[in-house]
Amino acid sequence: MSGSTQTSVDAISECRLVQEYIERQCGIRIDDNKMYLIKTRLTALMIESGCSNFTELLVKEVDDRTHTLRDKIIDAMTINETFWFRDQSPFVVLRTRILEKMFGEIREGRRQSIRIWSAACSTGQEPFSIAMTVREFARTHPGFSESHVEIQASDISRTVLMLARTGRYDSFAMGRGLPPELRDRYFSHDKRVWQINGDISSMVKFSKINLLEDFSGLGKQDIVFCRNVLMYFRDDLKSEVLTRLGELLNPGGCMFLGATESFFYTEWQKNQGQKMVRGQDGVFYKIFEGVVQ
Amino acid sequence: MKVMSVDDSKAMRDLVHNVIDLLGFDFLEASDGAEALRLLEGQQGKVDLILMDINMPVMDGMATLKVLKSDPRYREIPVTMVTMETEKDSIVEAIAGGARNYVMKPFTQEELVGKIMESLGLGDK
Repeated sequence: MSGSTQTSVDAISECRLVQEYIERQCGIRIDDNKMYLIKTRLTALMIESGCSNFTELLVKEVDDRTHTLRDKIIDAMTINETFWFRDQSPFVVLRTRILEKMFGEIREGRRQSIRIWSAACSTGQEPFSIAMTVREFARTHPGFSESHVEIQASDISRTVLMLARTGRYDSFAMGRGLPPELRDRYFSHDKRVWQINGDISSMVKFSKINLLEDFSGLGKQDIVFCRNVLMYFRDDLKSEVLTRLGELLNPGGCMFLGATESFFYTEWQKNQGQKMVRGQDGVFYKIFEGVVQ
Repeated sequence: MKVMSVDDSKAMRDLVHNVIDLLGFDFLEASDGAEALRLLEGQQGKVDLILMDINMPVMDGMATLKVLKSDPRYREIPVTMVTMETEKDSIVEAIAGGARNYVMKPFTQEELVGKIMESLGLGDK
């Protein structure tokens, strides 16, 4: 075997090691045709850490009891594609059907609050879209107040959480799905940056959560948004995380899934005896105990 | 927080400026090392982070790093080197010379934010 061929084989096996590591740590499966991302995204971290190859980097990570290196590796490899009101339909359903029903329960004294969790919030567009939806609902429903709603948002990446907490967005991000009337109502504009108003940002509490780890500490939820995350997970992990998400839901709660994530719920829902409803625009969402018929 | 971008490319400085604006920090910019040192002097060294290109005219990133790390007024300011993949050797040298870390072009907004957080020791919870 020539030297260059040997080097190339070594590089491939090293990338495989990292591929397995990422999947073990956060469930994300990096496809073989995306293996180049490992090299492009982790080389800087490898050199900074004083390592000459990825194997050394992973050995160093095992020795790092603070998990700082693990967080950096995960940060570098996670996907952060996001939009305002992504797929639209879930937010329409939230406003016109679920909030309507739950507000009815509040009025009748059968419910105290509505707890919502955005389980992979990236830079904040999803939980802030939820918060704006709640706010819009309150505008047309006298007696309903944002104080009835608690919104929690989490992500595995420290970096995107930092950006989410600022509530600041550039024009490019603002142009991705945010209706102008909501932009004008809920944001202020300062030179190059749009800042979400304090009354919206204060509705959302952010935290760092790895979906592979125990998240029951969040407490029971009425509505869970877990969209376009599990599609990157291995099948057995999808099922395992889904089961735990289901356990977190209060009776009558519901879970929104990504538009392309329906196929792997079919088997799961059979096992769970739950009903799945297809929403508009090809978006799938999971409904428990017939919140939406 | 005040962050300085030192890069001869206006487009790169604008890109960094965008991220600094998102974080709500103050922004300073210089197109080479000599201008950066003059700016620092004017700020009495009160800059929290320097993001610096390696290849620049007049005074490059490595020479500027050396000056910064040998001057007691500036040596505690963290420096993040902004580099090309082809500059790996320089980066090893820069880390040995006191640079906190580096970010490789082309980088995403999130990558740059991650480096800035790390350099500034900002929390992760």
